[in-house]
Amino acid sequence: MSLTAWIRRARTPEPVPVRREIAVFEPADLFDIEIKDNPETNPVLCCTGDSAGAAAFNALWLKRIASSGRYAAAVSVRGQGGTPAADGGPEARAHDVVQAAVTVPRQTVLIGHGEGAAWAALAAGRYPAAGLVLVSPQRFPKQLPKPVGEPPILLVVSESETQSKEVQAVADEYGITPLTFAGAPDDVFKGAPAEGLLDAVLSWLDAQKR
Amino acid sequence: MQEYSSQAAYDRGEAVCVIGAGASGLIAVKNLRENGFEVDCYERDTVLGGLWNPQNQHSPLYPNTHLVTSRSQTEIPDFPMPDDWPDYPSAAQMLEYLTSYAKHFGLSEHIWYGSEISHLETVEGARFEVVVKPAAGSAARRLRYGAVIIATGHHWAPNLPSYPGLDDFRGTVMHSSQLKDPSRLRGKHVLVIGGGNSGVDIACEAAVNAASCVHSVRRGSWHLPKYLGGEPSDYALARLASRPKLLRRFLTDRILKGPKRLAQRMGIETPGHGPGDEEPVRNGRYLEHVGDGSIKRRGEVARFDGYDVAFADGTEIRPDLVVLATGYQPKIACVAPELLGGTRDQPAPKLFARMFSPKAQTLAVAGLVEPGVGVLPIVHWQTHAIARWLQVRKSDPERAESFKLQVNAESSHNAVSAADDSPRRRLVVDAEEYLASLGRIIDTLEQEPAK
Ligand SMILES: Cc1cc2nc3c(=O)[nH]c(=O)nc-3n(C[C@H](O)[C@H](O)[C@H](O)COP(=O)(O)OP(=O)(O)OC[C@H]3O[C@@H](n4cnc5c(N)ncnc54)[C@H](O)[C@@H]3O)c2cc1C
Ligand SMILES: NC(=O)c1ccc[n+]([C@@H]2O[C@H](COP(=O)([O-])OP(=O)(O)OC[C@H]3O[C@@H](n4cnc5c(N)ncnc54)[C@H](OP(=O)(O)O)[C@@H]3O)[C@@H](O)[C@H]2O)c1
Repeated sequence: MSLTAWIRRARTPEPVPVRREIAVFEPADLFDIEIKDNPETNPVLCCTGDSAGAAAFNALWLKRIASSGRYAAAVSVRGQGGTPAADGGPEARAHDVVQAAVTVPRQTVLIGHGEGAAWAALAAGRYPAAGLVLVSPQRFPKQLPKPVGEPPILLVVSESETQSKEVQAVADEYGITPLTFAGAPDDVFKGAPAEGLLDAVLSWLDAQKR
Repeated sequence: MQEYSSQAAYDRGEAVCVIGAGASGLIAVKNLRENGFEVDCYERDTVLGGLWNPQNQHSPLYPNTHLVTSRSQTEIPDFPMPDDWPDYPSAAQMLEYLTSYAKHFGLSEHIWYGSEISHLETVEGARFEVVVKPAAGSAARRLRYGAVIIATGHHWAPNLPSYPGLDDFRGTVMHSSQLKDPSRLRGKHVLVIGGGNSGVDIACEAAVNAASCVHSVRRGSWHLPKYLGGEPSDYALARLASRPKLLRRFLTDRILKGPKRLAQRMGIETPGHGPGDEEPVRNGRYLEHVGDGSIKRRGEVARFDGYDVAFADGTEIRPDLVVLATGYQPKIACVAPELLGGTRDQPAPKLFARMFSPKAQTLAVAGLVEPGVGVLPIVHWQTHAIARWLQVRKSDPERAESFKLQVNAESSHNAVSAADDSPRRRLVVDAEEYLASLGRIIDTLEQEPAK
């Protein structure tokens, strides 16, 4: 974040605070003595544009991430799942993501799906994420902030999306090549495509040593 | 770190040494690590958080200390405080916040507690040797670093005024930093000396807890309530700062009219300059206590006499307890004043852009400013700039040159008027101008060169 961007934000009214629903799954919650919280790895915080919010990650993601020894969390931004609705556009939702990120015990990776990818990208402009993972991004802001602290960035899209202008634009913006997963953009929460996608994300994270 | 003998210095290569694990030191460690530096941070106490930690042996916190700057103006730019916290968090919350910052970014593993740096000097050109003061019975440790950032704070050495007869005074005298427990005020006739934020806050505590409270203040100052126009005052005023100059002045005058009139009614002069030029007093309760008579204001103290205290106007009172809320002497003891641009006779640092040593390229000080607004964001941008400079210095000689020219130029902006001999007022910066200056410095260090 640039100093000017910070000054601007510090002088605009803060979004109305909401009581945010945050789902957490820690390696210890798996009751598997083989799996331990690995403090060398960074936690992961997820958000999605899906109206279910944090709950969308319950079925598969959180447990799967925790099995890799990582602290796993997901947040419902204003108006999703158990978080009450409140005023504010994408910036306010990014604020919700940042507020959730600072409650995670260690510097966290941000994973955003769909419109949630846009919020995660905005959040990474204010908070030094340990990594930024964008899954099938939608409604991405035209003006993207430069991520704080130069985190590694991963863009994952379904095969059908690879040619979309939006995906191209995001890839160009960050100067990265998207990774693809088999299946439709909405197949990310359960089933075989979701498992494949998660495996790809987790092995990328491991490779970053994050 | 490995063991090292007492004679040979242990060489930490290009690692950076940060002195102090208060807010400024923590922010420095985080930003240096983020920019790829190895860091060792030395803290003389056994805890982090500096003055916000009541367990720090020398903590100047007094009963019921709350922030005087509001949450959104105080939080570190890339690590906000929880948004369900009050507008003005307590000292305990401030410590909780700094602790979670340290935990979140894994800073503790880089901090060496119980390690006071007693001395540092340049070696091999731009490198430093630091001496860690020995604990009882062991030898001093010496280590070498590529760079040093001093973040030792400036609220540790009480500024103690002298008055005729003070030594023989029969009541109790203590500095504001020694008060700690509010019960010490209970039932006492209290005299508070000093009109800064400490003096005013303590006078308010005395107004409700003590038998009586007299407050001695030697000159006028701005008194701002904690809220203006329905918003935290610092936020309300900062917002106006983005307006064009004339409009800004008009709106600022308008918003400050009420507080100014109230202060006048209580017999307090408002200085000619605006509240941005010097730390304003921010306390909404004070003037009400003056208004209901529970705080009685007096001018300067002339002398102490047995049980009595006489004021310059000839009046006398007989206090049980005198609290000297007369501020602090900024002191940096671990380095020769020359390295920070001072002299033996005039040891006050004269830094480039209020942070860079004019003598050594790899020595900087973080947090040595009184900006009258939240200090942490300023330190964040200072240490961001320092970290970038340390990178650029090595990797980009051309940019390093333009940086040097620029910090030189920036430094003349905030030159201190020689007439101002008060140690604290020498640290005052206009936040608006200083932030703009930091912004230009960071741009020079980061922006793509113009084609
Ligand atoms: C009563 C009071 C209230 C304040 N309220 C506000 C407020 O509302 N808002 C605001 O923004 N600011 C406020 N401030 C300003 C405050 O200075 C900053 O908020 C901030 O805490 C400064 O942190 P620092 O790290 O620079 O200094 P400090 O907190 O003083 O930390 C310096 C650290 O360095 C250590 N140290 C010192 N010398 C050595 C050495 N030689 N070797 C090793 N370690 C050493 C000390 O033990 C300490 O831990 C207040 C200050 C006071 C005194
Ligand atoms: N709640 C909070 O967040 C909070 C609370 C307290 C302090 N602080 C901060 O901590 C810092 C220190 O504050 P502080 O109030 O302790 O100190 P300060 O701001 O330096 O104020 C010291 C006061 O004592 C007076 N004084 C100094 N020497 C004197 C003398 N010889 N005789 C009579 N009066 C004398 C000064 O008057 P002159 O101006 O005429 O020299 C001034 O009014 C400031 O940055 C302050 O904002 C914050």
